[in-house]
This record gives sequence, structure tokens and C-alpha cells, in this order.
Amino acid sequence: MSGNTDSVDGQHSGDGVYETEFIPYINKWGRRTNALAVLLSLGPAVALLTVFDILPPTQAITGAFISVAATFGIFWVVEPLSYYPVLGIPGTYMAFLSGNISNLRLPCAAAAQESADVQTGTPKGSIISTIAIAASIGVNTTLLGVGAFALVSTFQALPELWQNALDSYLVPAVFGAIFAQFGRDYPKVAGAGFVLALAMTMLLELGYLGVFPGYPLYMVIIVSVFGTILIARWMWKQGMIEPPEES
Amino acid sequence: MVWIESLPVVPAYMDVANSRWLWLSTVPVVSVVLLQAAIFFRRAWSDGKEIGLSDDQLKSGFKTGVISAIGPAIAVLVGMLALIATVGGPVAWMRLSVIGSVAFELPAAELGVSQFGYSLGDSDITETAYATAVWSMTLGGTGWLLVSAFGTPHMEKARQKLGEGKDALIPIIGAAAMLGAFAYFLTGEVASGTPETGSVATGGLVMLILLQIADNKEIQWLREWALGTAMMVGLLVGVALQVTVGTWW
Repeated sequence: MSGNTDSVDGQHSGDGVYETEFIPYINKWGRRTNALAVLLSLGPAVALLTVFDILPPTQAITGAFISVAATFGIFWVVEPLSYYPVLGIPGTYMAFLSGNISNLRLPCAAAAQESADVQTGTPKGSIISTIAIAASIGVNTTLLGVGAFALVSTFQALPELWQNALDSYLVPAVFGAIFAQFGRDYPKVAGAGFVLALAMTMLLELGYLGVFPGYPLYMVIIVSVFGTILIARWMWKQGMIEPPEES
Repeated sequence: MVWIESLPVVPAYMDVANSRWLWLSTVPVVSVVLLQAAIFFRRAWSDGKEIGLSDDQLKSGFKTGVISAIGPAIAVLVGMLALIATVGGPVAWMRLSVIGSVAFELPAAELGVSQFGYSLGDSDITETAYATAVWSMTLGGTGWLLVSAFGTPHMEKARQKLGEGKDALIPIIGAAAMLGAFAYFLTGEVASGTPETGSVATGGLVMLILLQIADNKEIQWLREWALGTAMMVGLLVGVALQVTVGTWW
């Protein structure tokens, strides 16, 4: 089709192919595959329903979904927007389909761009990150597949104390670690969020949230999440906090 | 009989959670992920040559992608332990191969079982509560898929519209939402007892120390291993507290 002019190094040579052929192709297939994945991700839920005849009451599913949406809904939009400049268009489709973005996809894309000596944000950078992310997906899926098979039997062979320990004490440590990871950048927001959540949890445990319908766990979440957001926004306007420098 | 005594204390729903049917049900969606990677990879390779990338550059990008993925993937594997313990092998594998991360899936599962008043790790979680966790993770994860499926072509415009003033607020709002949510999750654990509290505090402390070292010395692999290490140390401290002081509340 178009010639690959070696003349200009970097952004402008071959922009035509990238913009007129590569990106439309990626958008077409990215949209299809990610939308298809929405349907197919229901697999286990549907298997539970059809094979084992287990279907939770609608209100439980709705309640769980509202809680998840209240907690993570903002990330559905914020994360794609925030990571887009680094991932590029193909990387965004792939990374949000395959997950593990900050700990796996972004580092792989960045390292590959460095080693192939291309610039982030340029067509060449975008192509290289596409290749690197595809490679990381192959590695990750294979390793986890083998691990999930092997680890299930390993886990079931563990003594009772350790099974209980894995059940009870691994999760709190993850919560503490993630909280600390974000708290490093925003200690004041972390402090405010912790006090808010602790107060709400105690109100819940002591039964003071009884005025709200149902089991008012969602109030604890909503107040913790949105309260912390409002406090953070206020702090930012007061000049008390700012985003960390890009490293 | 021996087989009765050796029955593990694993909750009853685990038979279902680790069944062959659930393994089978995860195959289609994981195939889509691999299929998309293959489609994009082929096209990027050929169009990459078109726009003037050399074979060496393409190969080096590929090689770096593979090498860089191994460390983090093993770290994800360690993180997957917590998920396998709570939702079983197949769902854990699927949720971490498609869409998710441990930081999303665990809380999403917790929110699912909490609809019935359970907490992850309770040994009497019912099959229905487990299924709610599966629905919770699945539906919660679709948000990212839908936004990326239909929003990606518009991302550039949206970014520019948000303007300079609000650009600075995007990461702050994201981090604040995360902090609020995890503050809620960890106060729930703190309320359950001393070992849990010790585990929360240790996990946080180890994370802080490791990330600080990684930043100061520019050690990328330490960042990848930070969460995996923090959760293992937190686990050990939780066990140590359980067998020594028990719980005070």
C-alpha cells in the first residue's frame, strides 16, 4: 500500500498506515472482542445456574452490584482515561480486557518501548506496546492456568491451621497493603478516609444506622468512598494535597 | 473412616467452586483474551514494518514483553492464593486472566458474600452466597470492559475536554475513592479481631517499607513483589498472633 519512507525518523513516516489502517482495524476488532468478553465472562455464573441450579435472589445480586459500583464504578471511567496516554488505543482494549494493568501491562509496555527505542505516544510506541502487551498476556494466562491447577491441590493438602490462616489473614494483609500503597501518596486523605470508615463501621456494628432500609452496609461504603472523595477534593482546592510526581 | 476424618474444613461450596464444569465455563472468555492478543499482535507486526520499525525492534519489543511479564505474573500467582482460597481455582484463574486484579476481585467477592452477612474466610458460607460473589465479580468487572469497548475511540476527545484544571483532579479522585473503599474494607477486618488487625497493619507496613526501598534504589522488581511479600508477611503475623495472644475483642 503506502511506501515505508525511511526518511523522517519517528512520528511522521508511516502515520498514514497507522491512522488510516491500523487504528480502524484495531477499533473494529477491539470493540467486538471486548463486547463479546462481557457476554462470555458470565460463564461461571451461568454454569452455577444451569449445572448446579444455584441462583442467588435478585436482591442479593442487585445489592452486591450496587456496592461494587459504589466502590469501583468511578474506576470504570477514571482508569481507562488515566492509563490511555501510556497504553494507546490498542493497549487500552487489551489491558482492560486482560486486567492486572498497573502491575503487569503498563510495566511491560514501558520496558518494551525502552528496549525497542521508540517514544511513548507515537505510532511506533503504540505498535511496540501492542506487541509487548500481547506477549505478556500469553505469559500471564499460561502461568496462572498452571498455577491454578497446581495450587488448588496444594491448598487442599495444607494442614488446618494454615488453611484457616490463608482464609483469614491473607485478605486483611492485602487490604492493608493496598491502603498503604495509595496512602503513601496521600497520607492526609488516607487519615481522613480511615477515621470516616472506622466511625461508619462502628455506627453499623452498634446499630445506629438502623434508620436506613435493609442491612445498611451500603451506607458505610457510600459514606466512606464519596466522603473521602469530597474531603480529598476539598483538600486539593485548599492546596493541602497534590498528585505525586510521575516517576 | 479415614476419608471422613481427612475431610478438610474447606467450606462445602468449594466442591462446586472447583468442579470440572466451572473450569469448562471459564474457557470461552479466556480464549477471547488470547484471540484478541493474537489478532492485535499479527496486525501490529505487519503494520509495524510498514511504518518503519525494524525486525530487531519488533523482536526486542516482544522479548521484553515476555521477560517483563514473568516476574509480575508469578507475583499475581501468589496473590491468586487468596482468591483460590475463597472462590476456587477456576474462577480465580478466569478473574485474573480476564479484566481483574486481586485488588478488585477480593473486595468484589467480599461484597457478594456480605449480602448474606458472611465475610470471606467464614467456613459456613453457603453455595448461594458463593454464587452471589461470582455474580458480583462478573457484573462489577463488566464496567471496565464496556467503557473500553465503546469508549476507547472517544478517549482522546474526552481527555481534552476534561481540561487542565480537572486533569490534576483525576488521579486525586481515583486515589481518594480507593482509599475510602479500602479504609472501609480494613476497618471491617479490624473489627473482627486482634490477629486480623495485626495482619492489616503488617501488610500496610511491609508495603510502605518495600515501596520506599524500591523508589530510593529504583528497584522495579521490588515493586512487582511488594504486594505478594506484604500479604505473606501479614499472613505470618496473623498466624503468630492467633497462636500466641488470640484475640482481645
